[in-house]
Amino acid sequence: MTSSTPEPVVRVRGLTKTYGDRVVVDALDLDVRPGEVLGLIGANGAGKTTTVECLQGLRRPDTGTIRVLGMDPLRDAARLRGLVGSQLQDSGLPERMRVHEALSLFSGPRARDGDRLLERFGLAGRRGSAFGGMSGGERQRLFLVLALLNQPRLVILDELTQGLDPAARREVWAAVAQLRNAGTTVLLVTHELDQAELLCDRVVAMRAGRVLDRGTPAELVARHAANATVQFGLPPGPTAESLAALHALPGVHDVVRSGDRVTVHGDRTAIAHTGAWLVTRGRVPADLRVDVPDLEEALLALLEPRTDVREVA
Amino acid sequence: MNSTTAVHTGTRPDTAGRHRSATRRLVASELRLFGRDPLTLTFVLAFPIVSMLVIGGSFGTTPDEVFPVNPAHWYVASYFTVVIGATGLVMLPVHIASYRERGVLRRLTASGFPRWSFALAQLVIGLAAVTVSGAALLSVAAPVYGVPHVDHVARVVLGMAVGAATFVSLGVLLGTVMPSARAAQAVGLLLFFPSFLLGVGGPPPAVMSPALRELAGKLPLAVANDAIREPWLGIGTGTGQLLATAVLGMAAAGLAARRTSL
Repeated sequence: MTSSTPEPVVRVRGLTKTYGDRVVVDALDLDVRPGEVLGLIGANGAGKTTTVECLQGLRRPDTGTIRVLGMDPLRDAARLRGLVGSQLQDSGLPERMRVHEALSLFSGPRARDGDRLLERFGLAGRRGSAFGGMSGGERQRLFLVLALLNQPRLVILDELTQGLDPAARREVWAAVAQLRNAGTTVLLVTHELDQAELLCDRVVAMRAGRVLDRGTPAELVARHAANATVQFGLPPGPTAESLAALHALPGVHDVVRSGDRVTVHGDRTAIAHTGAWLVTRGRVPADLRVDVPDLEEALLALLEPRTDVREVA
Repeated sequence: MNSTTAVHTGTRPDTAGRHRSATRRLVASELRLFGRDPLTLTFVLAFPIVSMLVIGGSFGTTPDEVFPVNPAHWYVASYFTVVIGATGLVMLPVHIASYRERGVLRRLTASGFPRWSFALAQLVIGLAAVTVSGAALLSVAAPVYGVPHVDHVARVVLGMAVGAATFVSLGVLLGTVMPSARAAQAVGLLLFFPSFLLGVGGPPPAVMSPALRELAGKLPLAVANDAIREPWLGIGTGTGQLLATAVLGMAAAGLAARRTSL
């Protein structure tokens, strides 16, 4: 990419898709920029999978325009599908197909060396294994290999870790991290928000087919997540003065006392200022606990707006 | 955000000049997997041979008022159609329905395989199944009962080709409308066994009640069987049955092609 303002790899405007009376995707706008990992996040039924199926020309939108690599996914399906690598939700391979046979079947004219990809994703030893005999994590890593095989300009990964145990999930996320580090453009559909926060440059949060918000994970957390909290046992000294001093610290929104414990609420800077205040008091409490809001909290707040009621000091 | 858009490690030179087309790759892959499918090996290859050996030896070798020719030859000539029925009514529907159930078809679609490549691949493996299993059946029959003299070679070959193409098309169509592999198996067996018992490999029409004989004569597999057996054994031309089978085949092929376009 040499242009300073490169065209988006994916550009969607006003995408709407209904099944019967149910609106699944509602006037969606979406851009995926070259080289970024974009996370499409939201609860089940948010319209994420329908969106990516429309992007791949597997479903016909009711209204709206879609351009993937400048092409129409329906009209230019034959050309486009060779340029997009995808892991679709609920898609598989024949049980008796061996790994090297899958590589051979899905290798197009632009295919790279499949054996090197197998090696890169820890599957070199499974080259002769049948798909039906592979573990869940191995299968998903094979799907990643197949998605990358033809040097795609865009990789779409839809719920890559669905149904996997924690160890297998870790394997697969490590593989996705490799893509990110290599600069591959990825559209990642997931409800695993901790991983989305770690891997995505930007996220788009969806509910009922609409975009709730979009931005970097940090921006979404800042906009929607609850305060950071610092909890500790009440230090020695006059309680009222201590609470007032804490409340006056930069970034602190409120201070709550419950028995002999104190909870400081504030933005992330409040964590450092509270820690510094504790240090200046000469003793850092052993029961110190810090909770930092994450993307999951932000998404929950987005999905279920709530009003916090606190006892202010 | 990262600055490049492609992974550059492990890339080999473009091999477009000698690259096999997607359709050829799919056909080759399907043929390879076809040989590993236990349903194919048992139901399409072994079942017709075992059944033919059992029933072919049950009525002796002398023509009588029930069998217009040597009974063993009657069944040898009939059981080629059993192979066609097993392929079209059971093997292919289960195979295709299992592919859809497991998301294999979605993966092929998203990977850019041409629209008709899957239908073509199924046609090839269906015809391959009939050819290989039919040849195995006749190879086993030859030393045991002998292969009956073919009275009209061209009509028999045409009957076999049209019958195979028709039931392969029906099988592809069935596979695309069945919701799951289990459903395909249940429906396929339900269609296969009455056709097999009444119209092809069961009791001869002469011993059936008039109503049952009338029904048996109208079963598509029985019609296809007559198109092969009559010119083979010299007991008729099978022309009407051949035409009826061809019409059914064209309708099934048209619908199957529409249903299987990726």
